[in-house]
Amino acid sequence: MNNDAGLKQFVAKPARVPPHNDQSLVRRIHSRCFNTPGNSVLTIAVIILAWYIIRSALDWAVFDAMWNADTRRECLNISPNGACWAGVISWFNGLIYGRYPADQQWRVDLGFILAVMWLFPLMSKKIAYRNFILVSWIGLYPFFGAYLFLGGEFGAEVGIIHALFTSLAAGFFILLYANWLLAALNQPDLCERVRPLVAWLFPRGIQVICLLVVWGALSLPVALILSQMALEPVAIERWGGLFLTLIIATFAITMSIPIGVVLALGRQSKLPVIHWMSLLTIELVRAVPLITVLFMAVTLLPIFLPSDMELDKLSQVLFAVCIFSGAYMAENIRGGLQAIPRGQYEAAQSLGLGYSMTMLLIVLPQALRLMIPNIMTSFISILKDTTLVSIIGLFDIMLMARNIANDKDWIGLHTEPIAMISILFFIICYSMSQYSLNLEKRLKADRS
Amino acid sequence: MTLQNHLATAPVPPARAIEISGLNKWYGAHHVLRDISLNVAETEIMVVCGPSGSGKSTLIRCLNHLEEYQEGHISVFGNALQRDSQSERFIHQTMGMVFQNFNLFPHLSVLQNCTLGLTWLRKKSEREARDIAMSLLDRVGIADLAHRFPGQISGGQQQRVAISRSLAMDPKIMLFDEPTSALDPEMVKEVLDVMVNLAKTGMTMVCVTHEMQFARQVADRVVFMQDGEIVEVGPPEQVLLNPQWDRTREFLDHIL
Repeated sequence: MNNDAGLKQFVAKPARVPPHNDQSLVRRIHSRCFNTPGNSVLTIAVIILAWYIIRSALDWAVFDAMWNADTRRECLNISPNGACWAGVISWFNGLIYGRYPADQQWRVDLGFILAVMWLFPLMSKKIAYRNFILVSWIGLYPFFGAYLFLGGEFGAEVGIIHALFTSLAAGFFILLYANWLLAALNQPDLCERVRPLVAWLFPRGIQVICLLVVWGALSLPVALILSQMALEPVAIERWGGLFLTLIIATFAITMSIPIGVVLALGRQSKLPVIHWMSLLTIELVRAVPLITVLFMAVTLLPIFLPSDMELDKLSQVLFAVCIFSGAYMAENIRGGLQAIPRGQYEAAQSLGLGYSMTMLLIVLPQALRLMIPNIMTSFISILKDTTLVSIIGLFDIMLMARNIANDKDWIGLHTEPIAMISILFFIICYSMSQYSLNLEKRLKADRS
Repeated sequence: MTLQNHLATAPVPPARAIEISGLNKWYGAHHVLRDISLNVAETEIMVVCGPSGSGKSTLIRCLNHLEEYQEGHISVFGNALQRDSQSERFIHQTMGMVFQNFNLFPHLSVLQNCTLGLTWLRKKSEREARDIAMSLLDRVGIADLAHRFPGQISGGQQQRVAISRSLAMDPKIMLFDEPTSALDPEMVKEVLDVMVNLAKTGMTMVCVTHEMQFARQVADRVVFMQDGEIVEVGPPEQVLLNPQWDRTREFLDHIL
């Protein structure tokens, strides 16, 4: 502060840019791959090996492959050493939709597109009730999707309650997009618009009632329209292919998080009954292969349930897969919970947050964020594990692929369908892992 | 005030914020608090000091039930505290706590850290909570950091956020558990300044701290603890400048 004492004034040196090494590509390759005789030999050996593998793979899959043929015999006659993609192409529809009637397959496409579109408004930060989007996707969309895929008379085939939820789901979807549009145009959303009316009628809880009023008003016409049309019923037995695989996997993935959270918290609970029940569930399920869990769900579950309650095979399988993935997820989440320092609980407690708020607002958001890589690994393995359901006779993508080899035109065509499935799974799983990397980077970027 | 170092006869101002009598606590077989009896008057600033392991942190953590104790009674504004949810709620409504390691919620922004309790517990509207939080952040001089995350600001700034977060809940009593011990020397002052200003507003404060300068400046009474017991208690000029016990003098010689 006081310069009168004859002190020298400190001035920082100007910052310099770091020296950059501008090595050319040739020099870089030379310095890394051919710097010693041993490395040179290794590099050449690897190149030759790679050349052989890639060339023969390409020969089989592309250059010698048959894309147009009517039977496997035709393929073999023309090009015995190439892949016979023609079989896969002629069965491609079956791989994707299973035995879903061809003229109704637009319903599957529509359901899939709506499911994805449901999540699009999450990109907007301004939209009202943003937190509800995921909840509604988990809680409401399944009703809508199930009606769309099952079809039948509205309210008769699937039941009145199901029909009600279907209408509510459709109403919510319209509300979501209307609000998104209004938010993008910087207009007040639909709920804000009816606010004066509601405020005039009701003294309390205006926010909630506004939402309910708008939601109800949008659902009602949808219910009327839907009740006038009848979709052709499609039995669950006819669902199959990638469509069924994705249904099972999505269901298991979305349910694994809530089941996992409950089991993980239960395991940490101080109440002995809850603690031991959770521990038992986790350890039992984790100690048993998925196939046995699936078989047990199909054979044992009907015995435990009351005799008048008959579950279709898909529900039994969904139950088994959910429990299985939930138990694994519970251990992932427990790992995350243990990484949260005690101070966080103490700070939450001293603010007066109770157990549930501490968990929901403070601990779980941090624990789940920490565990994103592990959780995504679980998701990917759930997706791949669902191919096991073909063993108990659900016509998922795996069983459809094996069916091709039984078709009299394509008898014995095993390799190509499996290769096709590998490609499809690779595309899905790789995009999942890329998404999780992206998510991690984004979350890290703004909170260091 | 007469200069006496025995508690039972120490004169206390009439309005009592905290009364502790016969408090005993064990960690397993280890007797960490031994017959602690102490009163804190309303608007009083009390500084608790002593060597590490003397039980001073444990004492104030018992006050807001972060630690259980086996014997003794604590009452706050005349309400005897029990281990039930009603008592718990009362404690957390009345007392705010500031920790040595700040314990900010790292996944929430500075502003969200301060508004969390207001929106979820006090049921304030978002705008109202925001206004309260911003005025508190402004008071501790970091309103411009409201949208940063805890990992992006310095320790001193984090501790000031932690103080604002507690103050947002409008407590009657503030507990400070070594608020400056984890800070670089250059940042201690900014936190102490906030605490001094808070003391001037008439807040009841119990501070565990080694900052004797702070004690001399604002404390009404200083408590010196050793091995889970209160050795000496009295106004700062008495305890700090003219201690009656050899152990107190030894401690003061070490840290001053």
